[in-house]
Amino acid sequence: MKLRQGTFSFLPDLTDSEIHTQVQYCIDNGWAVSVEYTDDPHPRNTYWEMWGHPMFDNPDAAAVVFEVNECRKQFGDSYIRVIAFDSSHGWESIKLSFIVNRPKDEPGFHVSREEVKGRSIRYSIKSYATDKPEGRRY
Amino acid sequence: MTIKKIDLHAELIETGVEQVLIDLDKSLIGLEPVKTRIRETAALLLVEKAREKIGLAHETPTLHMSFSGNPGTGKTTVALRMAELLHRLGYVRKGHLVTVTRDDLVGQYIGHTAPKTKEVLKKAMGGVLFIDEAYYLYRPENERDYGQEAIEILLQVMENNRDDLVVILAGYKNRMNTFFESNPGFRSRIAHHIEFPDYSTPELLDIGSSMLDQLNYHFTKAAKNAFIEYINLRKEQPHFANARSIRNALDRVRLRQANRLFKENNGLVDAEKLSTLEEADIRESRVFSGGIDN
Amino acid sequence: MPDGSDKLTGKARYSAGVLEYKKMGYWEPDYEPKDTDIISLFRITPQDGVDPIEAAAAVAGESSTATWTVVWTDRLTACEKYRAKAYRVDPVPNSTGQYFAYIAYDLDLFEPGSIANLTASIIGNVFGFKPLKALRLEDMRLPIAYIKTYNGPATGIVVERERLNCFGRPLLGATVKPKLGLSGRNYGRVVYEALRGGLDFTKDDENINSQPFMHWRDRFLYCMEAVNRASAATGEVKGTYLNVTAGTMEEMYKRAEFAKDLGSVIIMIDLVIGYTAIQSMANWARDNDMILHLHRAGHSTYTRQRNHGVSFRVIAKWMRLAGVDHIHAGTVVGKLEGDPATTKGFYDVMREEFNPQSLETGIFFDQHWASLNKMMPVASGGIHAGQMHQLIHYLGEDVVLQFGGGTIGHPQGIQAGAEANRVALEAMIFARNAGDNYLQNGPEILARAAKNCTPLKQALDVWKGVTFNYESTDAPDFVVTPTTS
Repeated sequence: MKLRQGTFSFLPDLTDSEIHTQVQYCIDNGWAVSVEYTDDPHPRNTYWEMWGHPMFDNPDAAAVVFEVNECRKQFGDSYIRVIAFDSSHGWESIKLSFIVNRPKDEPGFHVSREEVKGRSIRYSIKSYATDKPEGRRY
Repeated sequence: MTIKKIDLHAELIETGVEQVLIDLDKSLIGLEPVKTRIRETAALLLVEKAREKIGLAHETPTLHMSFSGNPGTGKTTVALRMAELLHRLGYVRKGHLVTVTRDDLVGQYIGHTAPKTKEVLKKAMGGVLFIDEAYYLYRPENERDYGQEAIEILLQVMENNRDDLVVILAGYKNRMNTFFESNPGFRSRIAHHIEFPDYSTPELLDIGSSMLDQLNYHFTKAAKNAFIEYINLRKEQPHFANARSIRNALDRVRLRQANRLFKENNGLVDAEKLSTLEEADIRESRVFSGGIDN
Repeated sequence: MPDGSDKLTGKARYSAGVLEYKKMGYWEPDYEPKDTDIISLFRITPQDGVDPIEAAAAVAGESSTATWTVVWTDRLTACEKYRAKAYRVDPVPNSTGQYFAYIAYDLDLFEPGSIANLTASIIGNVFGFKPLKALRLEDMRLPIAYIKTYNGPATGIVVERERLNCFGRPLLGATVKPKLGLSGRNYGRVVYEALRGGLDFTKDDENINSQPFMHWRDRFLYCMEAVNRASAATGEVKGTYLNVTAGTMEEMYKRAEFAKDLGSVIIMIDLVIGYTAIQSMANWARDNDMILHLHRAGHSTYTRQRNHGVSFRVIAKWMRLAGVDHIHAGTVVGKLEGDPATTKGFYDVMREEFNPQSLETGIFFDQHWASLNKMMPVASGGIHAGQMHQLIHYLGEDVVLQFGGGTIGHPQGIQAGAEANRVALEAMIFARNAGDNYLQNGPEILARAAKNCTPLKQALDVWKGVTFNYESTDAPDFVVTPTTS
């Protein structure tokens, strides 16, 4: 299973220089770029761990690629994403988010169904990996 | 598609490198050895690019540099031009200059230095990092000094991210030499050592005159002679900082001129009076009575 | 236009009988609209021999206080204030016999927060008025004071994206086809295949409600099974617009509640349910953290003709007030009506915080939106992966691209169709961000992406020649003439 979150998950994994072009686009738009990682890829896991603060003052994308690689050194078997924040009025949220690193093995998710009254079913989705404690999942 | 022939002179103009060199010539008085070195470096880099285009063996040259010389000899100004030059040549992507000293790199407590140094390095990526008085990073007398940590990160990035930034280490010549001797890691990663000589008296006078020109002031003939005397006396004193000392001296001369104009208090002043610096304005300096200007 | 008001006052104005509207005070050429006035711009086509100014005054009168004859009871009111005022009449460029009439309405003429009340005035009686051959409401300027009486879109573009965890690219959708006849079980299959293949949304069609072949509860149940399975298979938040349109409000609420209980992120209504029902459903959606999708079913009966009806840009403004999150707004390149400049005007009305006057896109007034949420436009109808560069160029990033046939009609199946669309989209966004001239190089970018994606290659081969180049019936009256230097 391949986790399809993020803007470029249907393209082949991005090279560092491809990451650079996308990050530079963000920086040139005045967005702050951030690196985040997690070993809990649930679609509603909003808060991945921050690899440092969003980078507000770096004119060149090499700074972000540098941090991505630093993060890979420590969390190479986690999901790592790059996200860009736009602080302008009326948006003040994320403008771009894409995965730059994934675990070697992605076991995916399990759908659990609970049959409730009538024909209704309550669904929940669980990552197979999160059975294990944080830090020991991949 | 491979290119067979390249017109180096056309490249020089098209990349805008020629213009940077002309600007450098115009805006900096003297510094002939420095200008020559920069021209040579530009030529080397241009040829390197040409070789790359034609498909000959090439490798990204090491571009880290050291600028050694006394204060006020134009190191920061040249660094700015160098950043622009490298940008025009395509060796750095953005061409901005980030100027720092030890305090910007080294932290106050354990765990503080690495993020601080990395912040600075990230800011400089795509451009040039200018570390002034770089030898202060290294303090052998204090074995728990965090400077060593900054040095290690610097060396690592200078090696691994050669495409992302160029580092210029700057400072007094003697102290730079000692620094390199005790830090062979830096010595081996720096390809270009450029020495900035002190200015001669006529050069310093030229520098002073052009500063005054920009501000719409001028010397009388007697004032000019007095200023030459001033320069010669000041050069022998401690803390002489070349062009910077000249600028400071002129600031004080202007102050004295203004005071004089008030004391004279003989009616209306015209543009000529307002822009003329006289001998007395200079001779009042304590340098003439054995004192020291900063 | 000839200026000067022949307005009568006092006894002369109120003697019994029939007066020209312009003499009754509905034509005030010197009037300067207040910041709090609602301004309407009508395209009027007077009957032969009818003075355009009188026609404009009549429209002002009939859409505010007037009736066909003088009534003395006017004098019991602050009638000067309540009279709508036609203040400007311009001939329409290149259209003989048509005029643009600017009419200002005092804020007190309208009930706060009611589209029904607004429309009952502005388009209530006046469109059948005999002295006019035709009448079209082209645009409206809504004052901030009036906008602030509405809550606006329940979710808005930003929160929708946060909730879906989807940023930086258009969303992808598909309408389940065939529109009618699938059983609930079969219907859910299409939803599963499309979402699993890479789409974010699937959609009920406007006329899928609860018919003999598929009861609405069946549809909801099977669709949610499909949504959850696809979500687990991809790790993404997925949705399907469950159409809750029904005969009564009670029934719609019931269906919406069921959709919520099943965990759907989005529900859908049709424009034909009416403005009041739309506002009610928007309130419900806001209370239940639900994205509200509006299908503009029926709009072309009054938006399409250039000389009569209501422009879609006005409908879009009303819907932003009413509070829907998604609204169909044209594709430019697809099978349905949509001139590029006019469509840009619609999209701007939906997505911008401020619309400056822009005659070339049909925006007649500066319009502030007072931080009302933005609506996500939906482009649907006859579009396919091969047009991706044009779609992104014309429609931008904050849009749902609905590939119905362009997904389900893929020769290798629905999943393959969905994947082709998603790969084409991501490749094009990547190229755009990387600074590529993607509009010009679109076909090459797609061909390159297709090297890693056979479904895309097949899609490009199958639909390579499909275009819908017909002249638009709703183009702007003002065109930018290139200046010669």
